[in-house]
Amino acid sequence: MATVLRENAGWLWVMPWIVGLLVFFVTPLGMSFFYSLTDYNMLEAPLNVGAKNYAEILRDEVFWKAVRNTLIYAGISIPLTAAVSMAIAGLLDVDSRLSGIVRLCVFTPTVVPLVAAAMIWLWLFNSDAGLINALLGLVGIDGPNWLQAQGWAMSALIVMNLWSIGQAVVIYLGALQNVPQALYEAAALDGMGPVRRFVHVSLPGMAHAVVFNSIIQTITAWQVFATPYIMTEGGPDRSTYFYSHYLYDNAFLFQRMGYASALGWVQIVLIGLCALVPWMISRRLWSTR
Amino acid sequence: MTGMEPEQLSATARSIAFTRRAAIAGLGAAAAGLLLFGPRPRDDTPPGRVVVDYWEKWTGSEGVAMRRLVDEFNATQDRIYVRYLTIGAIDQKAMIAIAGGAPPDIVGLWNFNLPAFAEAGALMPLDDLAAASGISRADYASGVWPMLMHQQQLWGLISTCGSLALYLNIDAIEAAGVTGDAVRRGPQTIDELDLLHERLLATDTRGRIERVGFIHTDPGWWSWLWGYHFGGMLVNTTGTQATALSPQNVAAYEWVRSYPARHGVEALQLFQSGLGFYGTALQPFLTGQVATTIQGPWLANLIEAFAPGLRYRAVPMPVEASVYDPDRPVGLLDGDVLAIPRGASQPEAAFEFMLWLQDRQRLESLASAHGKNSPLYDASRGFLDNHPNRSIDVHGQLANSERAFLFPRVRVWPRYVAEFDAGFQSLWQLRKSPEAMLRDIQAVAQSALDDAAEMRQLRARSDAS
Repeated sequence: MATVLRENAGWLWVMPWIVGLLVFFVTPLGMSFFYSLTDYNMLEAPLNVGAKNYAEILRDEVFWKAVRNTLIYAGISIPLTAAVSMAIAGLLDVDSRLSGIVRLCVFTPTVVPLVAAAMIWLWLFNSDAGLINALLGLVGIDGPNWLQAQGWAMSALIVMNLWSIGQAVVIYLGALQNVPQALYEAAALDGMGPVRRFVHVSLPGMAHAVVFNSIIQTITAWQVFATPYIMTEGGPDRSTYFYSHYLYDNAFLFQRMGYASALGWVQIVLIGLCALVPWMISRRLWSTR
Repeated sequence: MTGMEPEQLSATARSIAFTRRAAIAGLGAAAAGLLLFGPRPRDDTPPGRVVVDYWEKWTGSEGVAMRRLVDEFNATQDRIYVRYLTIGAIDQKAMIAIAGGAPPDIVGLWNFNLPAFAEAGALMPLDDLAAASGISRADYASGVWPMLMHQQQLWGLISTCGSLALYLNIDAIEAAGVTGDAVRRGPQTIDELDLLHERLLATDTRGRIERVGFIHTDPGWWSWLWGYHFGGMLVNTTGTQATALSPQNVAAYEWVRSYPARHGVEALQLFQSGLGFYGTALQPFLTGQVATTIQGPWLANLIEAFAPGLRYRAVPMPVEASVYDPDRPVGLLDGDVLAIPRGASQPEAAFEFMLWLQDRQRLESLASAHGKNSPLYDASRGFLDNHPNRSIDVHGQLANSERAFLFPRVRVWPRYVAEFDAGFQSLWQLRKSPEAMLRDIQAVAQSALDDAAEMRQLRARSDAS
């Protein structure tokens, strides 16, 4: 008995996690696929409708609008976040007494609850009394109506997303500090300037971090929900209505849990496809083969 | 290599093992101690009573008013004990609880939830219990009973209701130099409302709007109802056809569109973005930036809290001239209903509490605390005299009007209204014509209605087989 226990001790120790995984992840995942093939509102028994929900998704104009919005958001915010995070990481990668404080300032917003941050930004973006338009006014620019004008609302959400780049900065900074100094010295000897050193030395050295951050941000972008839900409620005219918001509305507002489950499975596929993009770009640009 | 001898290594391992064992034992002892002697949930339930779990959505003073009544009921009882719990997003939580087989005994829903819950068989029909108790349609304001019904069955009893009217900020109107009929009786037709709006419109030196007489986006909660004030409706009487694209609705949204067309989309957006939030002292009606607004009687409580000296008056929301009839005002009647979910463990005791609440004095005390009109056919003199809203008689008249309208009684209403909200925004930004907006809404709503009907048939067939 003791031998059996000793030999299976590893399994016993990880069993709580495995049980949790099976009960709270694998089972709901399987059930959601089953529900995606049914008409289900939670209050009545699921009714098998085959692939009807998936077929309807393809014809659903709001679905395509939500996909388009999410792609625009991801397509702009991911490269923008990467550029700004790398720039800040580069600035922080110097020995200075202020670096610690700057790092703290960059990272702190990531621990502020999203709802609180959204409320703050709601006021910052207020076109009449907001700080952003007041600052623009100082330099003679009549600021836009950030959250109510078509086009600007999406921009406002993308700008706000930059508020929480702390984690990306930390990862880029770590990667930057792992690039061997000798490579920079060799590049300098070869006559490379700072820009070429960044492109040919730093960037390939950080490639794994770029791919990691891009994939994480792709997943996050497809799941963005709380901020637009609070700040724009998907408006104006659904111009900031994102995929997860549409999924949530179908599940809990419209009581279409079957359709929402199908949306969830389509979302998994779309995330997978989009996550391939940074991975393929990195392979093409920085492959050592 | 550690550089230790085997005996030393073995002693270290024993020491680590002992320490680990001691740590696990310590943690186990702490856990057992917490289980045995740790904090326990407080249970005030008197022994021997039937416990009725009641979930309600209200917080703040509204919640306090209901809790007071629950306490009063519990004090008079030796058989039943109502356990009151405030729940946010109550329709969603109730749906999950019912689906999970652990519902409360009473749930306080919004009346527009009833069709979806009723059709899904998530609620208990109350016709027999109500008939046995002697309460009937005649006891209530004419708009109230239909709110509790769906497909010829009774699904709930009323707790509170409120009709929408046009509120006039008399201080702001008089300060703008507008007097006479506009203040005395208020606007009665859409044309009069437009005229009042124009007279109250104020801009600053840069041409930016500072005050409007009326604006459809304040408070912006009912993007769908304007057609009713032009004689339109959104579904036919059987709930099978969407009628968004009726000529009356088109005319109504032509009127809505005339505001951004007249003032400019950006000018209105700029004005709106500077307005304070509802439920604060900066609410635009209270500050006078929006001199008239469509609201329910509960507005009186906000006025009392944030602008106690404000002079105001409510009048029925103006209608298109051909629809005007002073004896039959038009207005939305909204309400909160108490229902018994499917699978409730104590339905009889739950109904006993609901019935106890239907007493005139209790319903009126609750309505008064919420700042709402009485759900009863004839409000008592004391209720009207002591009500915090000095225009409560107008709301009572609306609740009893044969042209008071309810949220459309269809299961797919949340989808319908979501389309309306999105469509309204495109109209307000002059990106769509009223016809185009209503055509799109009609298409989605009709498809949703057809889909719901098809699923209903499939379910019936599946149940039969």
